[in-house]
Amino acid sequence: MGKVAFVVNGSENSNIYPPFILGASAAAAGDQVIYFFTPGATQLMKPGVLEGITGKGLPPLAELLDGLKSLGARMILCELALDAKGVTVADLRDDIEIAGATSFMAEISDATNTFSF
Amino acid sequence: MARTLDTKGLKCPQPILKIAILAKQIDEGELLEVKADCPSFPADIKAWCERTGKILLVCADDGTGSFSAQIQF
Repeated sequence: MGKVAFVVNGSENSNIYPPFILGASAAAAGDQVIYFFTPGATQLMKPGVLEGITGKGLPPLAELLDGLKSLGARMILCELALDAKGVTVADLRDDIEIAGATSFMAEISDATNTFSF
Repeated sequence: MARTLDTKGLKCPQPILKIAILAKQIDEGELLEVKADCPSFPADIKAWCERTGKILLVCADDGTGSFSAQIQF
């Protein structure tokens, strides 16, 4: 199976719904799924924010998140976000990783598909 | 006796996501019957079965937008 990487650049529904819907489909088919949240998406990484997102005609984001997590998807926040947005690890969800661009690029060097939203 | 999963009311990609999560508990050779009313379900379940090596025995449309699929693991 493949490895799919998504870069999430903002905190609007249009930044998070497409990668979660596509990622859920990929994870369901056995792909490894990795999300990289840039500083613009830091708000999404605060506890409970993802779980509260809904959209007209769309599945609740919380259900996609549950499915993604149970199928092993990973979420990484760019470490630059900490200084750029004035947040500490204590302000963030505990199911994410903090990593730099170099680590992420190394991690996805064998990705079969990459997307940016 | 086949296992059953009712995904009626759920939209893409939730039916497939629920099947994938349940699939971890299903042994090779077992049957799963899935009910769905998401319009993209017939195409989605066909694609999922092809990618994951499962056999889609049937995906029947009851004529009212409800589907019933049988998958052999």
